[in-house]
Amino acid sequence: MPSICLYFQVHQPYRLRDLRIGDVGTMDLQYFDCEKNRSVFRKVAEKCYLPANAVLLELLNAHPEFRIAFSISGVFIDQCKEYGEDVLESFRKLAQTGQVEFLAETYYHSLSSLTSLSEFLEQVSLHVRTIEEYFGQTPKIFRNTELIFRNELAHVARLMGFEGILAEGADRILGDRSPNMLFTPPKFRLSAAQERTIRKFRPFAKATKNIRILLKNYRLSDDVAFRFSDRSWIGFPLTAPRFTDWLVGSGGFTSNLFMDYETFGEHQWADTGIFDFLRALPKIWEERGIATRTPSETINAWNKSKQPTECFDAHEFVSWADHERDLSAWQGNTIQVAALQALHALEKPVKATEDPKLIDAWRRLQTSDHFYYMCTKYWSDGDVHKYFSPYESPYEAYRRFSHALCDLRQMLKSRPPHSRRPTPDLTTPES
Amino acid sequence: MSLHSLMFGWEYPPLHLGGLGVACQGLVQGLLRNGVKVTLVLPHGNKSAEREVTVLSTDDFSASTMTVPSMLQPYDTHASYDIRVSNICREECDIYGGDIAGAIENYTAASVQVSKNITPNVVHCHDWMTYGAGARASQYHRVPLVAHIHATELDRTNFKPNEWIYGFEKRGFQAADRIIAVSKYTKNMLTEHYGIPADKISVVHNGASEHLTSFGKKNTISLHGRKHAPMVLFLGRLVLQKGPKQFLDMARIIHQKNPDVQFCVAGDGDMLSEMITYAIQQGLSECVLFTGKVESREVSELYRRASCFVMPSLSEPFGLVALEAAAHGTPVVISKQSGVREVLDHAFTVDFWDTEKMADCVMTILREKPLAMQLRSESSRAITHLTWQHQAEVVRSIYQQLITT
Repeated sequence: MPSICLYFQVHQPYRLRDLRIGDVGTMDLQYFDCEKNRSVFRKVAEKCYLPANAVLLELLNAHPEFRIAFSISGVFIDQCKEYGEDVLESFRKLAQTGQVEFLAETYYHSLSSLTSLSEFLEQVSLHVRTIEEYFGQTPKIFRNTELIFRNELAHVARLMGFEGILAEGADRILGDRSPNMLFTPPKFRLSAAQERTIRKFRPFAKATKNIRILLKNYRLSDDVAFRFSDRSWIGFPLTAPRFTDWLVGSGGFTSNLFMDYETFGEHQWADTGIFDFLRALPKIWEERGIATRTPSETINAWNKSKQPTECFDAHEFVSWADHERDLSAWQGNTIQVAALQALHALEKPVKATEDPKLIDAWRRLQTSDHFYYMCTKYWSDGDVHKYFSPYESPYEAYRRFSHALCDLRQMLKSRPPHSRRPTPDLTTPES
Repeated sequence: MSLHSLMFGWEYPPLHLGGLGVACQGLVQGLLRNGVKVTLVLPHGNKSAEREVTVLSTDDFSASTMTVPSMLQPYDTHASYDIRVSNICREECDIYGGDIAGAIENYTAASVQVSKNITPNVVHCHDWMTYGAGARASQYHRVPLVAHIHATELDRTNFKPNEWIYGFEKRGFQAADRIIAVSKYTKNMLTEHYGIPADKISVVHNGASEHLTSFGKKNTISLHGRKHAPMVLFLGRLVLQKGPKQFLDMARIIHQKNPDVQFCVAGDGDMLSEMITYAIQQGLSECVLFTGKVESREVSELYRRASCFVMPSLSEPFGLVALEAAAHGTPVVISKQSGVREVLDHAFTVDFWDTEKMADCVMTILREKPLAMQLRSESSRAITHLTWQHQAEVVRSIYQQLITT
């Protein structure tokens, strides 16, 4: 019988203001729509974060063996400080139970793993230190933005010192194998330059020898996250006993249920019964002898079990987004590619300013959501993008983003380099 | 079962002023290809063509056309009709009708007369002038009546309707067994402002004419790479509904930021001289060109030449020009108060009154090469799915439903 590994993603982006060309050069880094961001944050806090955290706290207290994991983006913690200390406090309460594991990710929930190794490493290190500061534990497991993954990244995470990494259990890589086992990336070495860069910026003192890959069981995860309230779905209505039957039936070593935390109360509203469903699970699992484990505990148990670990060989990127489970949600059209390239092209001059505010604004523009909003795939997935976008169209998303970039560029031009001190060349670590 | 549609129209290419004629032609050709026989009755001011029955050949198929003597023209108002009629001699007035109401009455009577000897399964009429004829013909032949709405009086007048026309329209909508609206936007207009029940209205968007869908690929030359200044295009009748003033307000904002940009206002209409004066007052005399009426070949050239097409209509049931621009690979900025936005995903949409934002969208397109590239390639590709053949199939199924119930 598999154990169960629950991980919830917690994130909110900084959405952009209705920026105008006339303001380029005078925006003073005020790119973000404070009012909108506050109102979305408060809305989701009331509908999801606060009630869901209350339910989980109650469950963790009632069931000392119950385990869960969170990955909380750095920009979410920033927003907690601006709009919701109460939310941050409720997460800290969960942390204090000792039954919750916190994962590492890029602080800015960014696509930096696609563009710049050094920037990626800096953001992960920043996030690790932030989690230590707020939740009193050091993350040992890494999850990349939107579960974007490939072989190389697994090794980067290993050399950084992580023991595990999360990925989507994509059929095209698994073939007919179950996602309910643990996996290892194929063995190979990164380039010497990459390894040097990792040693320079990694959050931990040394690399791990073996990294384990935990795969999302997307069928069971999406039954809850996407289909829970779908009346046309054959599994409707989904009850805790029935879902438990499916979990047991899925077999293997661990059933990994990875989903957005906003599933509870925001994507699936309270009146769908999602909170009652959540509340019922630990008791049924306990009665039926099904263990829950954090990702770290799952890896430890796996290593102890001495089972042979198969290879998960992802030459191409996989992610948990859309039907394609690739990068097309963020890098699928001309404007998305252009926007990411243009943003990344500023890395060197931005860092040369050594201005923390400017660097922070540039990094907030890296949040993957900005690119997601520019997606123009118009089949059934288009609706999902529309649902999540605060803007009326992908072109509106690009318009605002391009104005922010123009302003940033102009600001960099008008500003003399910060000092005569040589600044470390972060963009080309090979040199 | 073979279907026969008796259709009452206003205009048909090559004699047409606006989108109605183009849409009518697309629909007729599409219906013919779907095996529906069409007899089209049109008003005709040319005496020599009186009561002449012509057969228009459209590819392998043919539609019968009947013409009825009338001075009516599409987009007529009481005033415009009066002006035209004052130019003809008195005895002709008796044939044509001395005012627009009389003209419509004459047209209606004559239309029903010419179509007496055919045996249609359905009567299909286009916009308000034909509703009387449609209603009478459908009674005479005892077949269902379909009213096709390309525009309402409220669209044309910025919600300050001529009460007589509004009432005439409303009676027409009520008399129809089925209403076809060219967009959801128009459907809403009919339910909200005319009190027509929503379940009586089907939405059938206009198709992109076939000659348009072939344009997409030809125009891949980089607009940014060429030497002449960027040009922003307006194309439409210069009447209140089309928002020429909003276009010039937008032009002024762009001109202040970027004096290199040129603007072209193509089309004729009541407001031409007023707009020229307005442009001069706004300090735009150096950068705005008024072309007056343009021929279809010139239109094509203008689309191709434009870096961006703007349709700032105050209320636009559909907006075929935006589809045409997209088909030519021109990035478009369209009014939110339009039906075409429902089928044109790859475009900027703005409220017609928000000329600041309109200007910002245009300037973004001019500044951002990748954006212009994507809008060009995606919008022309997207409309290839919107064919008249397919839209007419939907109309055919509406006919069938009506006949069998």
